[in-house]
Amino acid sequence: MERRTDIGPPHYTKFLPPVIQKNYGKWKYHEGVRPGVMVHVAESGDKLYTIRAASPRLLSVQKIRQYCDLADKYCDGYLRFTSRNNVEFLTTKEENIEPLIAELEALGHPVGGVGRSISNIVHTQGWVHCHSAATDASGIVKSVMDDLIDYFTGKKEVPGKLRIALACCLNMCGAVHCSDIAILGIHRRPPKVMANLSQMCEIPNVVAACPTAAIRPAKVDGKDTVEIIEEQCMYCANCFSVCPALPMADAELDGVSIWVGGKVSNARSQPMFSKLAVPYLPNNPPRWPEVVQTVRKIVEIWVEHAEPDERMGEMIQRIGWPRFFRLAGIQFSKEHIDDYRYAALSLKRTAQLHQS
Amino acid sequence: MAEGKKYETPKLDELEKGAWPSFVKEIKAAAQKSPMAAALLGQLEQSYNEKIGHWKHGGIVGVVGYGGGVIGRYSDLGDKYPEVAHFHTIRINHPAGWFYTTEALRGLCDIWEEHGSGLTNMHGSTGDIIFLGTTTDQLEKVFSKLTALGFDLGGSGSDVRTPSCCNGMARCEWACYDTMKVCYNLTMAFQDEIHRPAFPYKFKMKMAGCPNDCVAAIARADLSIIGTWKDEIQQDDELIKKFADEGLDIQRQIVSRCPTRCMDWDGKKLTINNENCVKCMFCINSMPRALAPGKERGAMVLLGAKAPIVQGAQLSSVLIPFIDLEDEESWNDLKQLLENIWEVWCEEGKNRERVGEFALRVGFGNFLEAIGLEPTPEMVAYPRDNPYVFYQTAKKE
Amino acid sequence: MAEMTVEQLADAMYEMIKDAKGMKKYKATDLQKAMAERFGADKQACKQAIRLLMDSGRCIYTYFGGSYIEIPPDQPATP
Ligand code: SF4
Ligand code: SF4
Ligand code: SF4
Ligand code: SF4
Repeated sequence: MERRTDIGPPHYTKFLPPVIQKNYGKWKYHEGVRPGVMVHVAESGDKLYTIRAASPRLLSVQKIRQYCDLADKYCDGYLRFTSRNNVEFLTTKEENIEPLIAELEALGHPVGGVGRSISNIVHTQGWVHCHSAATDASGIVKSVMDDLIDYFTGKKEVPGKLRIALACCLNMCGAVHCSDIAILGIHRRPPKVMANLSQMCEIPNVVAACPTAAIRPAKVDGKDTVEIIEEQCMYCANCFSVCPALPMADAELDGVSIWVGGKVSNARSQPMFSKLAVPYLPNNPPRWPEVVQTVRKIVEIWVEHAEPDERMGEMIQRIGWPRFFRLAGIQFSKEHIDDYRYAALSLKRTAQLHQS
Repeated sequence: MAEGKKYETPKLDELEKGAWPSFVKEIKAAAQKSPMAAALLGQLEQSYNEKIGHWKHGGIVGVVGYGGGVIGRYSDLGDKYPEVAHFHTIRINHPAGWFYTTEALRGLCDIWEEHGSGLTNMHGSTGDIIFLGTTTDQLEKVFSKLTALGFDLGGSGSDVRTPSCCNGMARCEWACYDTMKVCYNLTMAFQDEIHRPAFPYKFKMKMAGCPNDCVAAIARADLSIIGTWKDEIQQDDELIKKFADEGLDIQRQIVSRCPTRCMDWDGKKLTINNENCVKCMFCINSMPRALAPGKERGAMVLLGAKAPIVQGAQLSSVLIPFIDLEDEESWNDLKQLLENIWEVWCEEGKNRERVGEFALRVGFGNFLEAIGLEPTPEMVAYPRDNPYVFYQTAKKE
Repeated sequence: MAEMTVEQLADAMYEMIKDAKGMKKYKATDLQKAMAERFGADKQACKQAIRLLMDSGRCIYTYFGGSYIEIPPDQPATP
């Protein structure tokens, strides 16, 4: 057979259920039916029910086939995944909802994450598959979501949407930097310079990789290598990305930082970056209890204080950062004050202040 | 394939408990058939014990002719876990909107069960289908079977990464343009740029149908296309009244929280001063059906978002305030704009410099000039407040 | 300057990569810029030349925090 290249993905219309093909671009409204289930109603009057189930993102082919069995049985063979890695079953038959949910739950995939709720945690590879990881991704996500499950399934009510994301290093494959709560793996020591560096990497390239100019060429025992100006290093691992001979990982010093108050939606307030809440929590597998407790605490503050549909960042702007730190019981430290490019913009430059 | 070697995994076993679906169960399910998945369990348990990862990146695997789509991965414990000594990732360009038939999914599963670990991510962070873990000798086989099934590899490295979009018009009444169509068309138009890295660094594209931005385009894509509208919010006064009757405090919950305070509620009728509306979606989200985006719909094109690496995180900023995207002409304009951006960035960009960082380094005004766009006030939050101006006149003298 | 064929450009690129092997890695744009400077080659021709190098297996794409074009490691660098 001739080798085919550059054919691109299959055309999406092949994969759209007939009700979607028919009503494409002609939907009128949607509403929640029950936690994890919504209905989209078309101008034609057609109805499409979506049942959203939790997924660990890391899926075996066996599980995907089980999803397929359910989609064949209840959804005429169609299903989709969401941008937060949940799985969605699409059907026009209202009577299919109950039995489908029962089967999903029996399979260990609770239904939820629609509307006002805490949805799946967008996350990355961690120790399962990445060279750069300062922590595991799947293990923390599993532990945190086990703890927050009632907010996913709707058993416990929340004021609005809350988006949690995790990245296991500053590369942020999960782009966690605009999440209500971001869990971020961090290194806390400079890279080690391996003896064979010059055989593996181009020195000018390595020097250029560092955003703070903390790397300079050096000679050790007559051999070309680099040295790290340790005071200038902020452990970003840029150098390691271009040169494997500069390992960063450290079993004792690596860990997790927690960031809050970011958002990407433009509703009400503009998109915002997440801000540092907790500079460091230890890696404590398999269940990372310190991370789980901290996230829960922050979620509870939001549940208690947020107005309807108010995002974490909006709430904190309203109540003020000092109050947020007090409520969360987090010690404010030097690490919380920015010292990089736009540092000046983050200082309080007004007399408007929540004084109590 | 035979069952792999069994490892004791007390730490990971702990993560089989609890209400959230367990990734450990998934790896164990795959390990029933795949010795690679079994070895992965062993190595991962060791990581959980030692609190450190055991993967190395390596950069020289791929299918013939492509520079994107395969990520080399090697264990640094290859002697102990030989089945995962080589454990490469394959990125497969997902169908726009992540819709599937079970037939297509089963086809993908069959390929991956035969030629890899049987473990996937549905989906990766950029949007691709991820096949986790195989050896170099399997890559061409997987590729030829994938193309036979109608799938192709996605991007990786310094290329156009697999574009992704929200499900837009397929299901959402708020979609202001056809995200899936634009996503598919861009993907097909730039196959070469996806598969053969020729840029200073990666270039991501995401399309969201409205300013709710369900795919985080403004935070995660070098090119973000976000739906919006020009005319008046469509309002149904009867249904608005119904919301009020059902107990929604329209004054407190909606009107007073509109970011531009452009709404009035007199207890019976909602009046929107659409000239001051910034199309944020808040009131529409809160009163679905009663309010809807206007009829003159299109999209905004923004540029430059990225995570921190290398110079710091950025959000995308406005490049084209409004583009129709339905007619041929605006579609060609968009493609031309991309070509212009890439041309300038390839010419002047530094190694590993994302386009957003590049534009700031050379000055956003200079960047606009180079790509042939006129500066407009829509592009800034406010004009400069710093008087160190590089006046053009002075330089020309 | 005589117009270079795609094949000749590919050979020139290959030489460049070979000469720098172990010292400097080139990206696609580096090769294109060099060809433009030396032979006035246009972008499209350079793209085709790179494709030729790839499809024939003389060169491969590698990745070290960015994508490079290199000679496969098992292939002798001297012809
Ligand atoms: S965030 Fe970092 S460690 Fe995690 S998958 Fe991405 S590059 Fe790897
Ligand atoms: S970790 Fe970052 S700051 Fe430190 S030397 Fe490497 S590139 Fe520079
Ligand atoms: S981004 Fe807007 S159009 Fe797209 S799915 Fe979300 S709400 Fe709907
Ligand atoms: S869309 Fe936003 S800005 Fe416009 S009227 Fe509604 S709340 Fe106000």
